[in-house]
Amino acid sequence: MYLGIDAGASATKVVLIDESERIISYAIVPSGIDFMEASRKALEKALSLHNLDLNDLKYSVATGYGRRLIKADSISTEVLCIARAAYKLYPSVRTIIDVGGQDSKAIKIDKHGKVTNFVMNDKCAAGTGRFLEVMSNIIGVKIDELSALHFKSTSPVKITSTCTVFAESEVVSYLSQGYKIEDIIAGLHNAIADRIYLMASTIGFEKEVLFTGGVAKNKGFVESLSQKIGIKPILPKEPQIICAYGAALTAKSKVSKRKFG
Amino acid sequence: MKSQKRSSILRTTKKIGDLIMEYFTRAWDRKNEGKPIAWVTVFTPIELLYALDITPVAPEHFAAMCSARGLILDFLEKAEKNGYSQTLCSYSRCGLGYALSGAAGFMPPPDLLLTFRNSCDVYVKWWQSLAMHLKVPLFIGEAPYVLSEEDLNNYVLDFTVNQLEQLIKLAEEKFKVKFNMENLIKRVELSDIASELWLKILNLRRTKPCPLGGRDSASDIFPLVVLQGTEDAVNFYKELLAEVDEKVRKHEGIIENERFRLAFDGIWIWHAFDMIKYFEERGAVFVYEPYSEAWAYRLDKSKPLESIAKKILTMGLNIDIDLRIKNFMDKIKKYNIDGVIIFSNRSCKTWSAPQIVTAEILNKELNVPYLIIEADMADPRQYAKAQIENRIDAFLETLEER
Repeated sequence: MYLGIDAGASATKVVLIDESERIISYAIVPSGIDFMEASRKALEKALSLHNLDLNDLKYSVATGYGRRLIKADSISTEVLCIARAAYKLYPSVRTIIDVGGQDSKAIKIDKHGKVTNFVMNDKCAAGTGRFLEVMSNIIGVKIDELSALHFKSTSPVKITSTCTVFAESEVVSYLSQGYKIEDIIAGLHNAIADRIYLMASTIGFEKEVLFTGGVAKNKGFVESLSQKIGIKPILPKEPQIICAYGAALTAKSKVSKRKFG
Repeated sequence: MKSQKRSSILRTTKKIGDLIMEYFTRAWDRKNEGKPIAWVTVFTPIELLYALDITPVAPEHFAAMCSARGLILDFLEKAEKNGYSQTLCSYSRCGLGYALSGAAGFMPPPDLLLTFRNSCDVYVKWWQSLAMHLKVPLFIGEAPYVLSEEDLNNYVLDFTVNQLEQLIKLAEEKFKVKFNMENLIKRVELSDIASELWLKILNLRRTKPCPLGGRDSASDIFPLVVLQGTEDAVNFYKELLAEVDEKVRKHEGIIENERFRLAFDGIWIWHAFDMIKYFEERGAVFVYEPYSEAWAYRLDKSKPLESIAKKILTMGLNIDIDLRIKNFMDKIKKYNIDGVIIFSNRSCKTWSAPQIVTAEILNKELNVPYLIIEADMADPRQYAKAQIENRIDAFLETLEER
């Protein structure tokens, strides 16, 4: 059994895989302020879910923003973990767009799964899950209600500001003018999609395109981004754990390298 | 990427701090003796100023130094409190903040403000603002853009030499100094020797393992910034060359276990030398930077004014982008470079604007991967350490996998 832990800025994800690289259990918990505690909780949850025994664990790899703050046999970066998982699950994928809580990235891989280029937005909240969190608070809806409301929209508003703080006042202004909440939400999804589209365009969209990260669970946003790039993306059933799965694959490869190398 | 390896800087590099202090002390001595001080932008006729017994100090160098030593925020904030926007170049904010704070620190206040319109789009307005705050005479030189070799053989060169002659006239009138050609020839010769030595040193970085790293080259350029044409500069580079030579002979790298050889494109991030160290501790050494190379200019003492004019005209940012890219590609091959770190600098649009086309050509033609880092050269408030280290980790990991 191998463990991958993705200590993300918003959520900590753990994935356990077996010798045949199949996922045997996983868990997602909020990261909070203590990455160590969050990773411990997530692991416990994943183990107990399928009655697994920690003693069977052969190797663990940590990735994500808090990777250095938690216990694992070694660490790896998100870029490599996501690429590895994408290649394993969908060998035809050449471009991956990952939108997380605190950053977003686009990764390009070749037909052997090697990363040929990547680009990150990690300095600005616009274009990340944080943006949606801030906005949903202002609008007064829960983050998991955004998607359903998005599909009720008939004419999305235009959010022009590229800065979260300024966009916030745009949203407030739309609310006070009586615009429909669903149109504002669809407008917000389009705004992040625009940001990510611009960032990812610098490395280009080669087919197939895979969406990963927690924000890819929001179907409304996925629709905005797909329309923007003009390609129907592959969407994993649980896009939030792809990176942790890649870390688990890395863990397994470390052990097999050790055996044969 | 967890391996923490030894990284160090050269013995001679460690002497730069004292050299800078001596330089500023001497500048103040000159000021107190009633000799003129010129505030200059870089790539102006420094050799000519020394020949005219005018002491040059460069607010750009001062800003870099303040940033590296954690002293810059007071000056940045002083400028900002006076209404200068945070989106202005941080060097200019530092210089203006220093002037507005009374100009009583390392740099003595100027008697002349000298700039050339050759590399930077902020210089002229920055210098004009300084002139208004400090109420001292201003000399603005023009340097037409150089697209090809032919540009240097026609009126462009004469035009620039003519401006140097005007500068001499102004200095003679204002400061009662006397221009002496013999003196200028001597300065030009010393400047040329210093440049020649620096080019030899840089060339030795082609050796594997590389004997001189990024933290060295970032500091070691200082004598070529404001001491061109002095014995001090020549002596420094002689000593540095001897040390680097010795390391090459002993096959000693500046870092242990050199794994990746990198190029750095841009001005250094002065407040983040730790970033260079971060690379070094992971087995990645900087072996080439267009910036380090930019300071070296061979001068011909038989044509002193023309040589200086050529240097002003052909400084790295005043020439066609094709010439820059060609040189970069050539160096990537010669220095066996595995990857390029591109510093997209919030303050320096002139440098940052052509970086994407450059990176893409390098990537396409030579299959060299690149990483873009966004920050500001001097303003530490624009630096996101954890995020930058995250990008570096990912980049080194992809180099490893190649």
